[in-house]
Amino acid sequence: MSVIAGRAVSGPRQQANWDWRAACNFIAGGAGAGLLIVGDIAGSAPRPTVLLAGALIGFGLACVWLEIGRPWRALNVFLHLRTSWMTREAVAAVLVYAFCGGAVLLGSPVPLRAATLAAVAFVYCQARILTASRGIPAWREPLVVPLILATSLTEGAGLTLLLSFTLARAVPASAAWMLFGLLAARWLSWRLYAARLNSGTVPVKARAVVDALDRPLSLAFHGLPAALILAAAVLPEAAGAAVLAAALLAVAGGWLLKSRLVTRMAFTQGVVLPITPVRGGGLSGPGARPGWQ
Amino acid sequence: MTRYAMIADLRRCVGCQTCTAACKEANATPPGVQWRRVLDIEVGEYPAVRRVFIPTGCQHCDQPPCMEVCPTRATGKRADGIVTIDYELCIGCSYCALACPYDARFKVDTVEFAYGVALDSEQARIDEKRVGVATKCTFCADRLDAGLATGKVPGVDPEATPVCVNSCIAGALHFGDLDDPESPVSLLLASNEWFRMHEELGTGPNIYYLWDKGR
Amino acid sequence: MATATIKSDTRRVPTYCYNCVAGPDLLNVLVEDGVATTIEPNHAGAGIHPADGRPCVRAYGLVQKTYNPHRVLAPMKRTNPRKGRDQDPGFVPISWDEALATVAAKLNDIRARGLLDEQGLPRVAATFGHGGTPASYMGTLPAFLAAWGQIDYSLGSGQGVKCTHSEHLYGEFWHRGFTVASDTVHSRYIVSCGANVEVTGGVCAVRRHADARSRGVKRVQIEPHLSVTGACSAEWVPIKPKTDAAFLFALLHVLLCDVPIERLDIDFLRDRTAAPYLVGAEGYYLRASDSGKPLMWDTRSNAPVPFDHPGAVPALAGEFTVAAAVSHHADGEVIRHQDAVARPSFAALVEAMRAHSPDWAASVCDVPAATIRRIALEYLDNACIGQSIEIDGRRLPYRPVAVVLGKTVNNGWGAFECCWARTVLATIVGALEVPGGLLGTTVRLNRPHENRLLSVKPGEDGFMNCTFNPTGLDKWIGKPTGRNAHRTLVPHVGTGPWSQALGPTHLAWMFMREAPDHWPQPTMPELWFAYRTNPAISFWQSERLTDTIGKLPYIVAFAYTLDETNHMADILLPEATDLESTQLIRIGGTKFVEQHWAHQGVVLRQKVVEPRGEARDFTWIATQLAERTGLLEAYNERINRGSALVPLKGEGYDFSLPTDRVNPAEAIWDAVCKAATAELTGGAEVRDLAWMKRSGFFVVPHTRVDWYLYPTMVEQGLRFELPYQERLLRIGEELKRRLHGQGIHWWDRQLDEYRALPEWHDVPGLWIEAVRAAGGDPADYPLWGITTKSMQYSTGANVGIPLMDEVAGNMRGHGRVILNAATARSLGVERDDWVEVRSTAGVTRGRAEPVQGCRPDTIVIPGQFHHWKTPYAKDLNFPSLNRLTTMSREALALTDATGSGADVVRVSVRRVDGPFAGDRA
Repeated sequence: MSVIAGRAVSGPRQQANWDWRAACNFIAGGAGAGLLIVGDIAGSAPRPTVLLAGALIGFGLACVWLEIGRPWRALNVFLHLRTSWMTREAVAAVLVYAFCGGAVLLGSPVPLRAATLAAVAFVYCQARILTASRGIPAWREPLVVPLILATSLTEGAGLTLLLSFTLARAVPASAAWMLFGLLAARWLSWRLYAARLNSGTVPVKARAVVDALDRPLSLAFHGLPAALILAAAVLPEAAGAAVLAAALLAVAGGWLLKSRLVTRMAFTQGVVLPITPVRGGGLSGPGARPGWQ
Repeated sequence: MTRYAMIADLRRCVGCQTCTAACKEANATPPGVQWRRVLDIEVGEYPAVRRVFIPTGCQHCDQPPCMEVCPTRATGKRADGIVTIDYELCIGCSYCALACPYDARFKVDTVEFAYGVALDSEQARIDEKRVGVATKCTFCADRLDAGLATGKVPGVDPEATPVCVNSCIAGALHFGDLDDPESPVSLLLASNEWFRMHEELGTGPNIYYLWDKGR
Repeated sequence: MATATIKSDTRRVPTYCYNCVAGPDLLNVLVEDGVATTIEPNHAGAGIHPADGRPCVRAYGLVQKTYNPHRVLAPMKRTNPRKGRDQDPGFVPISWDEALATVAAKLNDIRARGLLDEQGLPRVAATFGHGGTPASYMGTLPAFLAAWGQIDYSLGSGQGVKCTHSEHLYGEFWHRGFTVASDTVHSRYIVSCGANVEVTGGVCAVRRHADARSRGVKRVQIEPHLSVTGACSAEWVPIKPKTDAAFLFALLHVLLCDVPIERLDIDFLRDRTAAPYLVGAEGYYLRASDSGKPLMWDTRSNAPVPFDHPGAVPALAGEFTVAAAVSHHADGEVIRHQDAVARPSFAALVEAMRAHSPDWAASVCDVPAATIRRIALEYLDNACIGQSIEIDGRRLPYRPVAVVLGKTVNNGWGAFECCWARTVLATIVGALEVPGGLLGTTVRLNRPHENRLLSVKPGEDGFMNCTFNPTGLDKWIGKPTGRNAHRTLVPHVGTGPWSQALGPTHLAWMFMREAPDHWPQPTMPELWFAYRTNPAISFWQSERLTDTIGKLPYIVAFAYTLDETNHMADILLPEATDLESTQLIRIGGTKFVEQHWAHQGVVLRQKVVEPRGEARDFTWIATQLAERTGLLEAYNERINRGSALVPLKGEGYDFSLPTDRVNPAEAIWDAVCKAATAELTGGAEVRDLAWMKRSGFFVVPHTRVDWYLYPTMVEQGLRFELPYQERLLRIGEELKRRLHGQGIHWWDRQLDEYRALPEWHDVPGLWIEAVRAAGGDPADYPLWGITTKSMQYSTGANVGIPLMDEVAGNMRGHGRVILNAATARSLGVERDDWVEVRSTAGVTRGRAEPVQGCRPDTIVIPGQFHHWKTPYAKDLNFPSLNRLTTMSREALALTDATGSGADVVRVSVRRVDGPFAGDRA
């Protein structure tokens, strides 16, 4: 089946509304939130964790601010809490900052725990922002939610290790094993998601992006860091370097995944012609779904 | 109640783009922005090939995904079903464009002109409000309202009918109130086979495509 | 959405668009504070205009056209005497006074030396673009041209090779059909060989065909490429380019040889055609010895009788012996016969078609024999022979079938055969000029142009009069009167005002460069007017033609923007364009294509907005030229006699203008409005210019009976000169004698087209032969190159209008090279790749558009592009078939007897990296 279109594209096309700036919100914001969550669970130093997480989330939001058409009206983003996951994401971000601020100022674990919960909400909102995008088949797939959550936590674990090493020249084994587990969870989420997309829920070109991403993502950004963590367990002398490398790869893998998901995998729905119309004394004929077969 | 809908008779459409041009001119949309447009699609393999022209644009959905995602409530829905955008509220985040399965929303970040410089006709209608925000087909709501105010009937009187419908040289486009069983659109739907695009996505689109006479 | 500001002055101004021959159409312009902002339908036309007052997409470009910043807005003169693409003309602005004085001085010098040069050719030439439509924008210029005298209109901008040329000539000859259409309003079945009516038929045709589809009409589209019209048809049948005649002959074969004759329209054949005329052994009619009238064999008396014998029931089949008869051969030679064996011309037709079976045709045109047979029988089944219909109170035959032809089918070699076959297909089922059938809609070679029925007068042998140029011994015009020699070479084209521009206009350009043997090389005109025309782009082998234009000594171009033709001009005159000037033209009645209405009248184009810059109303320019050349009185007289649309004086009214003074444009059009409305109403109603400005148009009812020629033929007792072509046979022989007498043999192949009954010849092979003649190897050019029109992006200077480019871009193939997807794969070409298309005559480049809806052996290059000067268009890098088609010596061999060529060329395609370096935007 071949479908040709004029300049008014009828087949799915890569969305051009959100570029690297939006991707950065998912990349940095998700990683920052993940850092808050995992750092809290792993018992990382609260103040640096909060500062780094806040910086990352802030950087992501700043990128989005640069992308919107009317940046000076940005506060209007809070006006639709009832149905908009973007509004909810913004509210969650405010809560994250409020609680993080409280945690930094008060040095108390309560606001920190609240910030962690707000970070969970923030990441969840990001995932739901994608699934609510009914015009982008690769996003509206429900398995995006576990994938986004898993990668956020995985990146958070990686960042926790990197932060720990930076601050204390130490890579806690518990955090390393947590990363190992999260890598497995993310890989599983990715495989389920990829399998779902490859079952025909997205246009052909989106599937091609998935296929191209699958091998490097699985091997270089999941298999390799997992192997490095295992190596660290049996080779104590190289443990630090191996875990650090694994952490870096885990973070990079998440960022690669999200950049692909937000940009190159994001093909539009295109048109569907269920049936070709009758033309005068002729007959109707089979329809077409440009870009899907 | 009133529920406005549009009909595109695919048996009649010739892909002439008159509606596209009429919409662009009446609504003063900038280069590249086509609230109404006609797609040109080929189906099949040589020699068993068909070519179909599909008018498309905002479907003024019953459950507009654009409205659901909009963080500012700039996107709204009137009682008569027309999906609207409040340019004063919109922050231009483009989320609505991604939520729309019909590729119906546009955003330009600068004032653009056909020849690069503003023609008198463009200068007269520069609308800064529409820069940096989402725009789309309005079913010519202003025209509709003005027509209604003078007693005109949408879909019957040109003064209260969207310009794309008025302009259609093939008589392929129709407009009217679905809740009025005697409206042109109700009568056409009752007597013809039709489909709606992407209904399975739960949008409840309000452009109906006729493809055969009723059985 | 418009700005929220309420405009202090908003008004809707009615006017018209006539940018293509399928117009004119009504429209309104929304004017806000003196600025035209929006084109709208004129809904006052609902129920009057067949498309309810809705103009086509092109009209919506008029706003950008008006305010285009690239317009020429002041008169300009050239300062660089050297001309050529590579030369900067050095145009500098001058005053209107200087511009007009300069042109007038040139004209006065010419007039002083005589209108004709030493070769007897007009020293002044003029070229106007697309299908006569510039006349609807040039105000009173025709009055000035008429006052001037002889002007050469033979330097075409595409006429003959871009128009439906053979259809024009043969259609008008056979049934007063300069343009031929299906009676779509009543049709049931249409076979369309490449007629792209949904693109070129204008809004009336689009609307009518859409209505017909809703009614269930079946249209079968026969063409190599799935056009828009193919898309809208019930069935697409791909056919090898230039083999349509074989397909149509096979349809005739089925109906004539496989179907009992009783299923045809016997009454129509007997009474309204030459089918019963007896043909002798030499191919000429046997005629009564005393009266010279063609004979028929009367089955009642079992004897030969003259064609007009009362009560005769003539035979259509059989062989008969005529005791005494004469036949009229070439040059008045009368041959006497005794006991001559003869058969009705219908029997000769049956025999001529016997060899052209569907199985034979399938091997020629690549359409399955079963498909051909099915189409033939569907056509017959839908012909409703024996049925009638009431039209405006009059009962007429109802034959709702037609075969329509598109460009490249009805022009160039093979077009005669196609035009003949489709008209005969109508004839044998009685579907010619009756409701539902095949109609002519206008005349241009006969008069009056506004009513083709009035052009019908009894002629020879029971047929209509016809207006062929003489070929007889003492009457043949051996010395060309124009540079294309239309009266010398093409009898069919006649000698009316349109004839010269319809002659083989490419021959004028070719012969000015290199004349063939025994043919004097024509001089170049000393002054050439060009308006709404860009032959440097729109004609064949455009690079070579550009060079030829550069050699013309003096060019006066009425200029909208700079372009490839006026790049060579000496003076540019900016005329007030579509929305800026005033003119009254006719609407309704029956006009080009499918513009036949149930109303007729006039429509005004008015000054919707003030002209930009120094642009001036054409009527003002024409009046100035008349005054400055001392022709004011003659010019005014011409206006009074009707050059501005209608005579200003008629029965019961006289709005004549004074002839001794300059009449303001408004006064001229006021008088024309009054006279036109008076003429339409027999003097009962008179509307002035002010009324027309408010109302836009004025119409009176036009009976639909007048859409059909049949009633007129019946009233005058006339027959259609079909299917047999004795006249062509005779004049062909005469023309051969004349040309051979002058030693001219380069027109011999064309002379072979003058046949009483056409036969198939290897039409596509002529293009392969042309490759060899140009020194090429046919194997190097394995594909057919053809073109197709874009509804959005053609005519009316649309090429410089971004809105039109943008919306045209929604259609597949716009600005690209369309080719079959499998062919593209075999060439390693993907969508958007740049490809180079090469012929023996030239090369062009464009982006590829692989599609399924195209024959694997054919590529299509839509539109006419490859601009290098026209602002906006020059940056598009669109390909053009005109770069590939030859206008060199080989073009003569690709010219048919009517002087027409076709947009077909053998090409090769290869993938390249991008556009030519010099063409890069």
